[in-house]
Amino acid sequence: MTRAQPSSPTEHPSALLLLHVGSMDARLIGLSIERHWTRSVRLVETLEEAQVVLIDCDRPGIEAALDQLAGHPRIGIVYYAFHPKDHALRFQPRPVLGKPLNLEALPATLNQARVDAAHMIAAAPPRPMAPALAVSSPVAYPRAPAPLGHSLMTDDERDLCGGMDDIPTTPGSSLPDKLFFNPDDYLIGRLQQALALASASGRPHLISGLPRLIGIEPRPVPVCITAFRENQLRPLAMTQLPESTGRIVSTPIIGEADSQPVHRAAEDFLWNAAAWAARGRLPAGSDPYQPVRLRAWPNFTYAFASPHAMRIAALWTRMHASPVEIATRLGIPHRYVFSVYSAASFAGLLDTTAKHENAPVAPFPPAPSDKPARGSVLSRILRKLRDAV
Amino acid sequence: MRSERTRHNKIIFSGTVGAGKSTAINALSDITTVSTEAVASDSTARLKPTTTVAMDYGVLNLPDGEKVMLYGTPGQERFSFMWDILSEGGIGLILLINNASPDPLQDLEGYLGAFRQFIASTAVTIGVTHMDSSPQPGLDAYRARLIALGLSPMPAIFRADARSRDDVATLVKALLYTLNPGLNDA
Repeated sequence: MTRAQPSSPTEHPSALLLLHVGSMDARLIGLSIERHWTRSVRLVETLEEAQVVLIDCDRPGIEAALDQLAGHPRIGIVYYAFHPKDHALRFQPRPVLGKPLNLEALPATLNQARVDAAHMIAAAPPRPMAPALAVSSPVAYPRAPAPLGHSLMTDDERDLCGGMDDIPTTPGSSLPDKLFFNPDDYLIGRLQQALALASASGRPHLISGLPRLIGIEPRPVPVCITAFRENQLRPLAMTQLPESTGRIVSTPIIGEADSQPVHRAAEDFLWNAAAWAARGRLPAGSDPYQPVRLRAWPNFTYAFASPHAMRIAALWTRMHASPVEIATRLGIPHRYVFSVYSAASFAGLLDTTAKHENAPVAPFPPAPSDKPARGSVLSRILRKLRDAV
Repeated sequence: MRSERTRHNKIIFSGTVGAGKSTAINALSDITTVSTEAVASDSTARLKPTTTVAMDYGVLNLPDGEKVMLYGTPGQERFSFMWDILSEGGIGLILLINNASPDPLQDLEGYLGAFRQFIASTAVTIGVTHMDSSPQPGLDAYRARLIALGLSPMPAIFRADARSRDDVATLVKALLYTLNPGLNDA
């Protein structure tokens, strides 16, 4: 599978200093640069060499990092935080990205920050606490449209489902390569392999070479054991891993000494890893026109629910239909259904036994018992739960 | 004239003793849950010191002033005569199963049987509680039992912590989408 090199707005790669980031983030960003961004970003080790720096607002010691930057006004700064809105005002007009970082979009953001830093020097400095600058950059500046996200909903939607256009509703046209992803390039491929080996041998298997523990115990119901925190797993699962990273090894027992590992049902764990890798794409070799069915709802109290995922599960557990048909019936972009398809296929929840229901493909009608008044109540309850949770 | 019980929209919470029905209602309710728990005097006492002997309820206040009543049924089977009365006019059923009970799959089957007519005209979602301390049977065992019982469409079944508002809300959302996948919250 080909991997796109993010385009750089400049001739030379931006010199990036990871001024104030955690070791996990540093490793993931370093791997991404090494593997994909060599033409757009290069890592440097000193402020004197840096053209742009990255700062994690949530890490202790940020004030010291800012003090270091005081004498370097020409350096671009990209901040990131769990709650970027909380920091946007303080750091404007610099961009504050939401966690988890969208690694595919990061090089362009870094380059833009570098260019904008030069412009800021040329122009009059903005007054502190002034409204956000009107910038043409698509980067997540305060109050600007945010490709890396300010709100959780925007982040989830983009991170989980990408932004791909719909494909034709009937087969026949050639499908774009970018519709598909190769699971072997991602954590999900390693997990799938580890699960298969553990199930076949009855022995626990580890994915070696990762910064923290991930292993599969076969047990009666397979369990994934990991020392990664949730906020670390997502960027890891979204990142293409070097081929040499993540060898599967058999082990008599999965060590418990590594910072309190958590145990998760393998089904849930693989669902999430696949959804994060897929980002609205299908596993290579999938047929978006082939009728399939969800054999069960995923465990949505842990499994990640991308936009519309519950609606998709509700419909797809009651009928065989292709991903494209499901999207048509629900009146939603195909990428949302492709995301659920990918997650379900790796979680073992997809029933691919061919059986097509010959109902005409049309937007989903109200259920027969769903009288208008009640339907309206259901929507209001849903809105209440959505707004309150 | 309809009674107060049937005039409002209702979501019914039922399930085994100690599964967390009262806790779940309390997690979701906008008011302090009205509960009629009492000291358990029979075998239930081995599972928890108090149990719901009548019913308890909470309320979801909708923005337009409408209310959705959250009714919890008594867990003990000897109070099962109340189940039909409480569920009359309900939107659907949230069934909570305590995975630490001696035979949770049998509990599931029993409750689905007891609410068969209600479920047939509405919908059910199932939360399995206490799976952290009692991981077996797993969700797949529950799914297999649901298939064997011929429930169609397959109800949503999740691991759930009844203390977690997110988990309880997720169960209710799944119930609403089961009733109508065409609902849109996006």
